[in-house]
Amino acid sequence: MGMLLEFRHVDTYYGDLHVLKDVNYAIEEGEIIALLGGNACGKSTTMKTIMGVVRPARGQVIYQGQPIERLPTAERVRRGIAPVLEARRLFPRMTVFENLEMGAYLRNRGPEFDQDLERVYSLFPRVKERRDQIAGTLSGGEQQMVAMGRALMARPKLLCMDEPSMGLSPLYVEQVFDIIQEINRQGTTIFMVEQNANMALSIAHRAYVLQTGQVVLSGTASDLRQNPLIREAYLGEMQVAQPLV
Amino acid sequence: MSNALTLLTRPVSWMPEARRRQLGMAILAAFAVTFPIWHNNDADIDSMANAASYAVLALGLNIVVGFAGLLDLGYAAFFAIGAYTYGILTSFQVEPAWSQFWVPFQWLGLVAQMPAETGSGSVVHFTLSFWLALPFSAAFAAFWGVLFGAPTLRLRGDYLAIVTLGFGEIVPIVVRNWSSLTAGAAGLNGVAAPQLFGWSFGVDATPYYYVAICLVALLMFVSIRLRDSRIGRAWMAIREDEIAAGCMGINLTRFKLLAFAIGAAFGGMTGVFYVAKLQTATPDMFGFPVSVMILVMIVFGGIGSVWGVVVGAFFLQLLQSWWLEDLTGWVDAFGRLVHSPWLAHVDLVRSIELIFGFILVGMMLFRRDGLIPAVRKQAALSFDQQHAVVQRGGFADLKLQGLGGDVRTGAAALEAKGVTVRFGGLTALDAVDITVPNGSVVAVIGPNGSGKSTLFNAITGLVPAEAGSIRFHGEEILGLPPHEILRKGVARTFQNLRLFTNLTVMENALIGQHARLTTGVFRAILRLPGTLREEDAARIWAMEIFAIFGNRLAPRVMQMVSGLSYANRRRIEIARALASRPRILLLDEPTAGMNPAETLELAEQIKGLNALGLTVLLIEHKLDVVTTLADTVYVLDHGEVIAHGRPDEVRRDEEVLRAYLGRNAQAAAAGVTV
Amino acid sequence: MTDTALFLQQLINGLSLGAMYALLALGFTLVYGILELINFSHFNVFMVGSFIAMWVLQMFGLTGQDVILTGLPLAMVLLVAFVATMLGSGIIGVLIERLCLRPLRNVKGPAAMITTIGVSYILFNFILLTAGAENLNYPNPMPQIQYHIEGAVLDLRVVLIWIVAVVLMLALHFFVQKSRIGKAMRATAQDAEAARMMGVEVDKVVVMAFFLGSALAGAAGLIFGIYYNFTSFIIGFTAGLRAFTAAVLGGIGNVPGAMLGGVIIGLIEALGGQIAGEWTDVIIFSILVLVLVFKPTGLLGRMAPNKS
Repeated sequence: MGMLLEFRHVDTYYGDLHVLKDVNYAIEEGEIIALLGGNACGKSTTMKTIMGVVRPARGQVIYQGQPIERLPTAERVRRGIAPVLEARRLFPRMTVFENLEMGAYLRNRGPEFDQDLERVYSLFPRVKERRDQIAGTLSGGEQQMVAMGRALMARPKLLCMDEPSMGLSPLYVEQVFDIIQEINRQGTTIFMVEQNANMALSIAHRAYVLQTGQVVLSGTASDLRQNPLIREAYLGEMQVAQPLV
Repeated sequence: MSNALTLLTRPVSWMPEARRRQLGMAILAAFAVTFPIWHNNDADIDSMANAASYAVLALGLNIVVGFAGLLDLGYAAFFAIGAYTYGILTSFQVEPAWSQFWVPFQWLGLVAQMPAETGSGSVVHFTLSFWLALPFSAAFAAFWGVLFGAPTLRLRGDYLAIVTLGFGEIVPIVVRNWSSLTAGAAGLNGVAAPQLFGWSFGVDATPYYYVAICLVALLMFVSIRLRDSRIGRAWMAIREDEIAAGCMGINLTRFKLLAFAIGAAFGGMTGVFYVAKLQTATPDMFGFPVSVMILVMIVFGGIGSVWGVVVGAFFLQLLQSWWLEDLTGWVDAFGRLVHSPWLAHVDLVRSIELIFGFILVGMMLFRRDGLIPAVRKQAALSFDQQHAVVQRGGFADLKLQGLGGDVRTGAAALEAKGVTVRFGGLTALDAVDITVPNGSVVAVIGPNGSGKSTLFNAITGLVPAEAGSIRFHGEEILGLPPHEILRKGVARTFQNLRLFTNLTVMENALIGQHARLTTGVFRAILRLPGTLREEDAARIWAMEIFAIFGNRLAPRVMQMVSGLSYANRRRIEIARALASRPRILLLDEPTAGMNPAETLELAEQIKGLNALGLTVLLIEHKLDVVTTLADTVYVLDHGEVIAHGRPDEVRRDEEVLRAYLGRNAQAAAAGVTV
Repeated sequence: MTDTALFLQQLINGLSLGAMYALLALGFTLVYGILELINFSHFNVFMVGSFIAMWVLQMFGLTGQDVILTGLPLAMVLLVAFVATMLGSGIIGVLIERLCLRPLRNVKGPAAMITTIGVSYILFNFILLTAGAENLNYPNPMPQIQYHIEGAVLDLRVVLIWIVAVVLMLALHFFVQKSRIGKAMRATAQDAEAARMMGVEVDKVVVMAFFLGSALAGAAGLIFGIYYNFTSFIIGFTAGLRAFTAAVLGGIGNVPGAMLGGVIIGLIEALGGQIAGEWTDVIIFSILVLVLVFKPTGLLGRMAPNKS
């Protein structure tokens, strides 16, 4: 399996706030990679950097061997990167079907489109049921399904998911993570930003842990599950040089 | 350092530049006063008088748009109101029947009893003098300013513009159609000229010119005084960030209406003058094109800049009156030279509105600040300041009067009970109970989206709570507007920073003190010694607050916030809140984005403030900061309090860990939980 | 005229005016839905559109209402006039966006709106200076065919206006609902950043919105000329106020709302004009102010504001 996406020494700023500091990731084809960390650690910015909404000040983002950090968003989508956005962000006044269609915006209609539609319907039977319903009227969990389906309609090689469990009831969280695993089994690489470390580590192959913009831990999921330092990274304790009196 | 301190706390700047400015103004004044003498062309003097009127209008609109940031597209309505008030009263358009009611007014010289033209009996003729009409119309127009402004208070910028445009159009239409009152489209005739000691102004432009110049000078003076006062600062805060302004104690309703009122008053006065000079008034003089022309003048001159808008108004008015004719002649001659019939027939005078259009577009695209941008004072740093060594701050030698002073009595400073906040279908806070004891530090922690900032917003009145109560030192504050809550002593910072970025550091801290200062409009204009003392004291207090942060902020007080580093901006936000002498300080992620060294420094500064007796309620996700600072910790998750207690207890709590790291039913069952 | 006849006549008038205002309001609302920008210049694009149409018709040798055509020549002339006007107006709209508004896309505050006031002035005064201030007799090749219904007169022109308006509105509806770019426009209006992440090029969507909106304004301009038999530099201001109120009344940013608002305002103007005469303007301005202050979302609601 080849290397699908890499971050090499990426630095990103908002104004003069240094949000990502010398960050390195390596995502191989077929993997599920989780990006973990507490509040305001740079997870969202990583996602935006991959999608092209934010440009890095230094470093490279390499996709399928090509540097993409200067490419516009549309081009990245065309090359096979699709997002599932934080809090879903469906188009609230369009139907479920129209939202799925928008996922395939850059593609032509035809047999491949129909195939993908069928695939989405079989993965998410609820979505098929509700395909003519206005997206804004669906529950949070159902919207998450639609959002994932919308991303799959782009037939992506790399699916970027931003906080898939946010705002979902535990029942839906289970379902969503099961489906993520299924999608991965069907051949899509998954890069997942997630606050819920337990759930994420239960399905990921490898994971990175971010804290205030730096990668402080990384490794296989099984290693990280046993590592007590994760707790401290989340609770903001990793970087204490000396104890405060 | 103390010299620099004294220097910086003077509201009247004593820099050598002041001498140069005084000389410049003296020359300008001499020029203005002697102009009619050495340039004895009546038409030109009249043009200058017109230009001066428009300058006053520009000054008035500048207060509404430039200072307070309220885009008023119907400003000419106030011009009309002032004009027609004077015009109707002095042209005897309205002649009520005489009765005993009018006798005291006759005695005051405001009305005269005249025989009726038709039938018998007598009627009232208003003989209001021009000089009395000026303030009267100003007040009357101000009243309408408040009336027109009131519906716009809660509207967004573009909607506000449209509503004001609507009012601006309704007024001339009403004037045109209410012929019995206003003589309709034909216009008023016989409007009285001003009289001074029995001598009427007549048709010569020169006396009008002097009145106009005095009016401009006076109202520039008023504008500048307001701008540099507590009032002006409040307006600019509203312009920069309304929400933060409210949370810093500024009564948004009062100050927005004040801006409308004062702006309208300027317009009303100009109306009186303009119509007295023309001795007639027609509705066409006050339509949308006039409102736009005044807008063009301030956009061209510099929105927010007093000198800028005056220069802009004079320039554009004289362009129309003087220069375009000559310019047309040259362009025509040039056109004949190059055999271009189109050029030879260009009439620039008629194209003035086209030129206005180009000015608006051009200025917005290329120079939004205008010709003379509103300058924020940036005093040069003194030698001491430039070589200040960055220290971590301290509290030695500081007498922080009026800050904190609360003793840990065990009584609750802040008590929230059962607070529930819902947004549509989402429950952001669910029956939250939080107690902050007097003199303590309480921290609120929790994962993203757990409702921490919503809790702050509920406490400070930014979001309404469906249920529950919030008591501050025994007083119920739930339901009060933000500025009232600040007044009671609750000050906050914002997670995403809501600084007034186009103002200086010092101005931010002065705005923080808004609720504690008392200067109103009249005292601001007169700048009595009491006001000067208050401003001095405010600056000294601000410097003392800045000193908490060592030499990070003090050397930079006259710089614009937009130029400062992120960490410094976080500090300024805290300083601004402290300046309001709060009894409790709400800090929303104060160390976000700071590196460990800066975090350590700030934590110690907060600790020091608490040691002086300031109660602190803190949202923080860096648990080491929480552990050192907090006496009690509350953990929020999905809008509910899931744990509270001492920091070390909370850290070990299973529920808390699960909230942060996430639930995983299967993994928990299998015994593999992080 | 009997009362029913009078009422019916004003109903006919109101629906004709309403058709025109609906087209104008639609164009305005298309841009607002995506950019949340109040585009003052829109109503002077309408005015310029009526002049473009006039010049096109004059090229056919038509002046005033003297030359009458029927059948195929009439249809061809009208078709060419409409297409040319819509294209011309559309291009003007796109130029305005590219040159004056795109540089200000990310500037907060009223800068863009003030710029549209400036552009509006430029268009207005350009026509004033070139075509003069007089009302210009509009070339109208339509035959004077009238139908009588219950005492009210239904002119062939009015029928044409209704047909054109309905056709254009249906076309726009289908375009926005079914076409790829139309869906991209709707998506961008609802969540521009999410749309961008689907690969939508927001700049292109904005250009399309301006083109379509301005084209509709141009069509409305030609309708004005045919209905009133005149045009002048000032029509943008008077019709603009009404169309703007219509858009706000229906729900600014809301496409069916613009159509509904247009019809309502048209009816108010026709029926109310009888009653209120010169005060009609005040009534319409008052409706505008009242809606904005008390129910800013309008009758059919509008998009959730993205700007705070």
